[in-house]
Amino acid sequence: MGNEDDTEVMESEGSFMRPYLLTGGRTRSDAGELAVEAMVAVSAGSTKPDQKELAQIYTLCETPNSIAEISAKCSMPLGVARVLVADLWGAGTLEVLETTRSDDIAIVRRLLDGIRNR
Amino acid sequence: MASATDNAVPQARPVSAKVVVSGGFGVGKTTFVSAVSEIAPLRTEAKMTSAASEVDDATFVQQKTSTTVAMDFGKITVDQGLVLYVFGTPGQDRFGFMWNDITAGALGALILVDTRRLDECFNAIDFFEQRSVPFVIGLNQFDGAPQHGIEDIREALDLGADVPIVRTDARNSDGALDTLVQLLSHILTTLSQAAVPAAAPAAPTTPEVAPPNPSARPAPVVTNDMRSAAMSALAAERGQ
Repeated sequence: MGNEDDTEVMESEGSFMRPYLLTGGRTRSDAGELAVEAMVAVSAGSTKPDQKELAQIYTLCETPNSIAEISAKCSMPLGVARVLVADLWGAGTLEVLETTRSDDIAIVRRLLDGIRNR
Repeated sequence: MASATDNAVPQARPVSAKVVVSGGFGVGKTTFVSAVSEIAPLRTEAKMTSAASEVDDATFVQQKTSTTVAMDFGKITVDQGLVLYVFGTPGQDRFGFMWNDITAGALGALILVDTRRLDECFNAIDFFEQRSVPFVIGLNQFDGAPQHGIEDIREALDLGADVPIVRTDARNSDGALDTLVQLLSHILTTLSQAAVPAAAPAAPTTPEVAPPNPSARPAPVVTNDMRSAAMSALAAERGQ
């Protein structure tokens, strides 16, 4: 168990710029910052984008998925997934679902009851 | 294909929430996430340059070394309309800048501790204290680790009586879920107390907002500032 986190850090050289070609070099979208746990779903009546990566995100979001899940399942860095999703959100193709406020007592109670009764 | 798809808008539109699992290097964060998650834990990566520059400039490609910071996370579908994500923080302190991103909006945190390497959790404790994120200390069970008393550990970590310290076994799904329940209970207690209008910091807990276990010892009034100062002093002593 002691070494389980050892793979968390991987050094690589020269590859970091490539994923950001997808975002035109941007590390943030004009549409705004999205939380890693924010869930995203396709908007009603929207059209699947042409570009491969965007289409991949679109297909995945036919069931709601979080930014982090999109990043993991589409094998793209978190920052890239966030920018692409924000763009699709800004274009009305995707919808961002509600995230909880960290002081929402009712939600915490629901989580507690739900997990306790597993 | 740009053709209109016949997608039906998903009927379920869940709300998502997040808790964080933190602690030092190799303390069992990933194991814990696996134990509570209903899906195989996923790994997301963030590419970072040491300069953490706003815009990546390809002309520096030859000089720069990029680092990939990986974060493991799991998911629990609590009911049709509510999903809880459990995020592990990157294990090394030099990636502290990623912690803000992961912890923003988190309900609370579990800080895992290996009793053989207590000092490795200092940074995590400091981080969540400073941001007033409710947290629970989970003493992860390692074979051959010394079994210190809870109160000895509380003293060593310089924590007030209001911070729960529990024993957990990240390898065991039931045990890990119990720990998650303890964290959520603590978050609920913390929020309930904070919800009291104009609560005077020095006032004893009033009956109507008493935590579920009224037999609990009254929490001494220890401000975060005081604890951070004590923590810094302790860290300084240890040459950090």
